[in-house]
Amino acid sequence: MSEFPSPQLAVIVIGAVMVAAVYLVTVLERLVGSVVAGTPWQLRHGLAFPLRAAALLLVQRRGTTERPDAAGWASAPALLTALAAVALAMVPLGARLAAADPKTGFVVFSAAIAFVMIAVYLHGWSSNSALALHGAYRYAAQALSFQIPFLLATLATALPARSLSIVDIVTAQQPLWNVVRQPLGLPLYLIAGLAVSFWGPLNLPDAADLAGGTSVQDSGVARLLWKGARAALLVAVAAMGAAAFLGGWWGPWLPGPIWTVLKTLILLLVLIAAGHLLPRVRIQRFVVVAWVVLIPLALANIFVSGALLLL
Amino acid sequence: MAGRGIRVGLRQALAQLAAGAPVPVFAVAGAGARERVADLRLSREIELVDEPAAAQLLLIGGLVPDVLSAPLAAVHDAMPGPRCTVFWPLGASTMPALMVPHAVRIPDSEDPVAIIVQAQRAVLTGIRASDPPLLPDVDPNPWRGIGPYGQGGSGMTGGTPYGRPMAELGPDRDGLRLDLLPLAIGPFFPRFPTGLIVEVTMAGDLVVEAAIAGSPFAALGADATARRGLQPFLRALSEPVSIAELEVARARDHLRWAAGTLLTQGLRALAARVLRLARSATPAEASAVASLTRHLELVRVPQWSGAGIGCLDRGLLAGLGVGPIGRAAGLAEDARTEDPSYMALGFEPVVMHGGDAAARWRLRMAEAVQSLELAGRAGARRTRTTGLVESPRGRLAAGDAPFERLRPLLATLLANLEWGDAVTTIVSLDLDLEEAGLVSSSRVGAEAA
Amino acid sequence: MTDSFLVDAVFWLFAAGALVTAYRIFRTDSMVRAAFYLLASFAAVGGVIVLLGGEFLGMVLILMMAGEMLIMAIVMVMYMMNPAGLNPMWMVHQHRVAVAAGILAFAVLAAPAFLVDFPDQANREPATATAQLGEELLGNSMLVFETAGVALLATMVGAVAITSRRGRYGVADDGSEEPAMDPNDAEVA
Repeated sequence: MSEFPSPQLAVIVIGAVMVAAVYLVTVLERLVGSVVAGTPWQLRHGLAFPLRAAALLLVQRRGTTERPDAAGWASAPALLTALAAVALAMVPLGARLAAADPKTGFVVFSAAIAFVMIAVYLHGWSSNSALALHGAYRYAAQALSFQIPFLLATLATALPARSLSIVDIVTAQQPLWNVVRQPLGLPLYLIAGLAVSFWGPLNLPDAADLAGGTSVQDSGVARLLWKGARAALLVAVAAMGAAAFLGGWWGPWLPGPIWTVLKTLILLLVLIAAGHLLPRVRIQRFVVVAWVVLIPLALANIFVSGALLLL
Repeated sequence: MAGRGIRVGLRQALAQLAAGAPVPVFAVAGAGARERVADLRLSREIELVDEPAAAQLLLIGGLVPDVLSAPLAAVHDAMPGPRCTVFWPLGASTMPALMVPHAVRIPDSEDPVAIIVQAQRAVLTGIRASDPPLLPDVDPNPWRGIGPYGQGGSGMTGGTPYGRPMAELGPDRDGLRLDLLPLAIGPFFPRFPTGLIVEVTMAGDLVVEAAIAGSPFAALGADATARRGLQPFLRALSEPVSIAELEVARARDHLRWAAGTLLTQGLRALAARVLRLARSATPAEASAVASLTRHLELVRVPQWSGAGIGCLDRGLLAGLGVGPIGRAAGLAEDARTEDPSYMALGFEPVVMHGGDAAARWRLRMAEAVQSLELAGRAGARRTRTTGLVESPRGRLAAGDAPFERLRPLLATLLANLEWGDAVTTIVSLDLDLEEAGLVSSSRVGAEAA
Repeated sequence: MTDSFLVDAVFWLFAAGALVTAYRIFRTDSMVRAAFYLLASFAAVGGVIVLLGGEFLGMVLILMMAGEMLIMAIVMVMYMMNPAGLNPMWMVHQHRVAVAAGILAFAVLAAPAFLVDFPDQANREPATATAQLGEELLGNSMLVFETAGVALLATMVGAVAITSRRGRYGVADDGSEEPAMDPNDAEVA
């Protein structure tokens, strides 16, 4: 068991990490976008962009629709932020540097990920808008489809560790990283990670063919919170991938937390690049692939990992 | 008092910071403005957004027909404050009715980006007041206070609350009876061409019925000027035009369409790359376009969204002369084959098979490369036939546009498609209402008069 | 323990939250809100279970309830004559009977909390909860869980098979209507 000296300090640290995560994702996304679009990236402009865009959204007034479910509409971005915070808090930075290390940390992370579907559904349904509602229902189908591959792929990493605690899962990777001994795990996790944070090719609820989907009626602070929460969730997904598959803090020369951050950064770049390079998948195709291809692959991954452990 | 002063100071500080961010603009491109407005996407200081709720500035480019002025006012009012309207005439003389009379005007000779940024800054810092709403804030269907729960009807759920009647049941494609939702998407839906109104009846995410209205640009008089990319084709209707100019315009039009398709698929950065190529494509860049096409095939752009979607059969398209759509279905119909100048260059229409959205993408990209190569070889040759021209969308003649010939097929094509597939299909058809309106008989008649 | 006050406060927060949201299920006027109030109630109960030392059980409850309540909300909207669930409506029929039944049920279920003599000593959290859980699942309760597991797998496979594209009457994309009872009645396409 490893914990911060006090829960209040952990909360503050997680808050700071989330703000930093949102800033990082915004900057990286513009950077990768400039590279893909072939435009030169101006450093000062790019670094100041998140602050300026946030200020712009803070200055904008909040619009409304006819008889929305006001409580649901307001609570959806807050819920998503809280879920991203919980998911991020489960990832340990170092062997003795974790915001919280419950013995079932994996289940807490998975519960936070599962709750995202509630946040997105509320976000789309509450605004009383047809396109937003459509996005919410698309995410319901998407979320129910990726849950099982996601759980199975990450659960396989708990097998070598014989524990559901994330710190134990990372500790068990000292001899060999999980990406090597469970090769199917990381690709499955990344696909499911794109699905849970509805990013890039799997950005179906907030899709361009729904003119913004669940965010179509968002303005002002609500828009800022939703975008920020999505970015934080992406970083949480990348961080957990780094911890569960890329060996967390293990690595030569540099101290452990630096390795965790570097590995998270690598996965984050992979996810953001996927967002800029891969077209959006059709919802019907994704549902079919998730149930018919990803679940058998995830099951095979668990069987093989379990068999290797028993031998 | 000190607290209020601090709040005002904070808001001003925020406004100063916000003035440096890219301006979120909801752009409406009327007749003559589509290309200039789309090019704003390349500017770093402007961000073209998909939804009015995210926008702070409404840009009206070109001539928007009066029949679209009520939806335009609704879009204006959907923008929360602080908001501003900017009018960019580009040849049109008047703004649509109902619009803010004191909107900022962009003179034709000036840089639109600078004026837009200036207008946004003025509104943010309070120099210019935010636009007042144009439409009255009343319920279109009075329903509040009627019925036991104020829901507008007599039973537990009844009447027309929120202006929506109870959902009617209707047959689904599988024979089930499900709730139907009638929606009118458009005319300023960001993925569709301006003026396209698709009236769909949705059962969940499936389109049960779709109806597409005619081009609102048909009512335009001689006031409207065509956008630059369309002008060579319109001129070719009445006089010989340089083949190089025509083919370069065709390639650029196809590339602009490709950028729009990439936006539909969520690839904003790639769309910006293609748009930059579209703006400046010359015969020397044929290989750049070809390699871009290969790269986009590698990342699965046509396959993931368009494979098997929106198939149009050869039988349905035979004789319609709808250009790339027909050629993607295996029909080798091209008005350029009737022109001796083209045949002298050894022109052969590109043909693909499949007839789905992916085939149309591949065909248009192949045609873009072919057009650039033709333009490189054409030299000073001019077209020989007049009265008929192959526009990037098909056979174009006075009073006869590809959009109008395609319209009867759309209702059956869009039925039973999931909404995302329906959008992919409509985008893959490259409907051009401006072209249809500019060659329509009423306008040709007006010019002749 | 220095943070027993915090633990007590959190417990009362969850307990009160569970009761209040459970009450709100029946008093709200929106079905989707009712489903999500139920979710909130379950989440609060999950929190209480975590406080009682059942970390795994509590978090699994929250994990499962998220998906289930979303499906509940969607199914409620699907079956009720209420467009998108946004129109106001009552959650109960026969008001007085419902209120009486609710109060009676609550009294019956809450009575044990006051009348039963619960054990009092502090329970030390076992250090190997996961291992003990594993041994229970694959030891004493193996028959139960394996049966349930096989049944769930069959359900999953069956659900995927029902949504299969190739149905009994043709490919789903073209619509798979069954042929009419009387062949002469068949509609002309």
